[in-house]
Amino acid sequence: MQVINTVADSDVAVKVTSLSKRFPNGTLALDNVSLEVPRGQVLALIGLSGSGKSTLLRTLNGLHAPTGGKVVVQGTDVSTANGKSLRKLRHHIGFVFQQFGLVGRATCMENVLVGSLGSLRGPRLGVRSYPVALRRKALEQLERVGLSEQAFQRADTLSGGQMQRVAIARSLMQEPSVLLADEPVASLDPESANQVLDLILRIAREDGMTVICTLHQVELALGWSDRIVGLRAGQVVLDQMNAQLSQEQVMEVYRATGTPMQFETESALQSA
Amino acid sequence: MSSSATKERLSPPITATQVQLFVFAVACLVAFVWSWIFLGMSFSGITSSFGDVGRLVKRMVPPDFSNLSNIVDATIETVWMAIMGTAGAIVLSFPLALGAARNTSPHPTVRYICRTVISLTRAVPDLVLGAVFVSALSIGPLPGVLALAIHSIGMVGKLFADAIEQAAEAPREATISVGATRRQTTRASILPQAMPSMIATALFRLEINIRASTVLGLVGAGGIGVLIQTSLRSLDYESALGAVAVIFVVVTAVELLSVRIRSAILGDAAALAQSARHGWFSQKIIARDTRVNKKSFETRALSPPWTWDRMFSTATISGFLLALAVAVLTIDIDWARTLPLMPQIITVFGDLFPPDFTTVRSEMVTGIVESVVIAVIATGLGLLIAVPLSLLAARNIMTKRILSTVTRLVMLAFRGIPELIIAVIFVSAMGLGPVPGTLALTVVTASFSAKLFAEALEEVDAAPREAVLAVGAGKIQEFFASVVPQFMPAFTGHFLYILDVNLRSSTVLGIVGGGGIGFLLLNSMRVLEFQTTGAIVMAIFGIVLAIELIGNWVRQLLR
Repeated sequence: MQVINTVADSDVAVKVTSLSKRFPNGTLALDNVSLEVPRGQVLALIGLSGSGKSTLLRTLNGLHAPTGGKVVVQGTDVSTANGKSLRKLRHHIGFVFQQFGLVGRATCMENVLVGSLGSLRGPRLGVRSYPVALRRKALEQLERVGLSEQAFQRADTLSGGQMQRVAIARSLMQEPSVLLADEPVASLDPESANQVLDLILRIAREDGMTVICTLHQVELALGWSDRIVGLRAGQVVLDQMNAQLSQEQVMEVYRATGTPMQFETESALQSA
Repeated sequence: MSSSATKERLSPPITATQVQLFVFAVACLVAFVWSWIFLGMSFSGITSSFGDVGRLVKRMVPPDFSNLSNIVDATIETVWMAIMGTAGAIVLSFPLALGAARNTSPHPTVRYICRTVISLTRAVPDLVLGAVFVSALSIGPLPGVLALAIHSIGMVGKLFADAIEQAAEAPREATISVGATRRQTTRASILPQAMPSMIATALFRLEINIRASTVLGLVGAGGIGVLIQTSLRSLDYESALGAVAVIFVVVTAVELLSVRIRSAILGDAAALAQSARHGWFSQKIIARDTRVNKKSFETRALSPPWTWDRMFSTATISGFLLALAVAVLTIDIDWARTLPLMPQIITVFGDLFPPDFTTVRSEMVTGIVESVVIAVIATGLGLLIAVPLSLLAARNIMTKRILSTVTRLVMLAFRGIPELIIAVIFVSAMGLGPVPGTLALTVVTASFSAKLFAEALEEVDAAPREAVLAVGAGKIQEFFASVVPQFMPAFTGHFLYILDVNLRSSTVLGIVGGGGIGFLLLNSMRVLEFQTTGAIVMAIFGIVLAIELIGNWVRQLLR
């Protein structure tokens, strides 16, 4: 069932057309990638480190500028947006980082409040510099991720799983229609990883968010997403709805990546 | 009730730490304003003062190098003094550090004594020590060398002890468990770990001592400083600039060289491998190291191969020893005459006791207050200039490369002239008094702290910055939300350090007529009232100790 190609334009949250990204040092991170993500879909992006997953996510909210092709998120062309329009777009795209991106010395509350900066004018320093209404909203988001008790604890006193939940609360402050998550559970132990992914999924379903999430663990990707896209050396090598996939098919993405050393090892193993 | 509880939780709870930090901040502000009024400072006054300095500098160009052979001789003497002083400090600091470090100290009492000796030596400014030694040994470079050696123990000993304490515990346990003695354990497990950091410390101190030895001449303790003062006093401005230019070249060259060597010694293999992808030179090094390692394996060599690291460390150490040997042999010290005088040092120190606080009491109080006021204003004004400068210089904040490079060069240029030399120039432009001293110290503070701040800013974690930009924040919002909270602890730490350094400097500004207690100090020695000298040294010691206690209190709040 190829749902992907039959959706109307207004129902498309993210549309990527022939996207390429070459870094100044010459690395081709994305090679002619095309992708259409309908509203409300939960998409898992898989592939080896260096396959271009993170770069793809970062071009979706303009942290990286593409060198070719077009990126449209929520009807806005990211590739041509700049300054104010880019900030406005980013304000509606949540981004969850592998390393959380929290300011360790600041309280959880302040870290969550940072999520509202896009709707405010001027710089803020300290919880008290934010309007009370936003503080109340921040507390609600912390409640949603189960950390309202820790609101005024320093972020660097939390466990990894808790930190990632604070980072998710920060994204929720943005009331995002699209949530991008870059290896959100790669630095976490299995139990915290499950908690964090469950949290993202529950919130996505409740709020009708579109989620694009890069993941290392194939089992997690299979059990959790609607659709899986595999990247290898900057190219899309797998794009299927989850229900049609077997673990073996997914594992293919990680095989035969073309680096000579792995070929040697593999042929050696086969001949043995 | 529940709504009030919710409301409460919308503001962070006020902690005792925050209250104390607030009190400290207010106290700093009050001290600054009070000092500003005390000295009668005004921005128009500062502007016209810098006008005076500008006019003087104009009269100094073009520099006159007709006296070049004298200048070069004096500069060489300055460098030899710094090398000998640093060597003395290393020799004296090493046993003290072993005694002071928790993991090598034989007994808590020894540890306490060593720590006290180390901090005592730091509390007396090198110029004061120099002046005391001059009165025992008469003028010449030897008192300067001794002053540098003793005063440097404070920093070298402390950093050596820190390096020893930071050595990992596991190798020590492993060495003890094979049955090694205490000395064998220290030699085999602790020193190899501490050595790179200790070499870097020694180099850094050498760099500081080169600056310090250029001004020791002002109290008759040898070096080039006195040439500048004499030229300025005889209104021979062009010659003065000639000497300043030579000092500038030497100080800057040593700083650049020392920074390179230190980063090469402290840089670990991982960092080298990282840079190997880019640097042609580091690729050559790695290739060569691989080759010599392989060869020594194949030939079953029984001594370690000459890898780049080993060659580099050996070259650095033997270079230093060679320079030291040349210094000892060629410096203008009549060892046969001065060595028998050494016991007199103890006599002179004995003359300082009992300290006489009464004879010049009111001048002493005025002088001390003036010194503190000078340090407070110089620190405050210097920071006001340093913060914007550091934002321009930090490469991760100022993304226009050319602007940050220019700012860095300007900062480097100002650091190239030792602060007392700047003070001498300001005093001869504006006349005697605390204001020229304050402004000279301000200029130095600004360029030094801008460097420290820029380094701290460049260490700010980039991950939160990216995360804040990703929520759609503007650049200024991002700066306040992610950079400022990360920078604050470093800022406060450096602020305390700079205040501490400035208090020490302001006590000696008076030696060149820049205000504060220094004039009285030097004068009491000239008229041989050593007990008054003793009282002043005790007073300086008290101020320095007080600021150290305040610093420890605030640092503990920031933890």
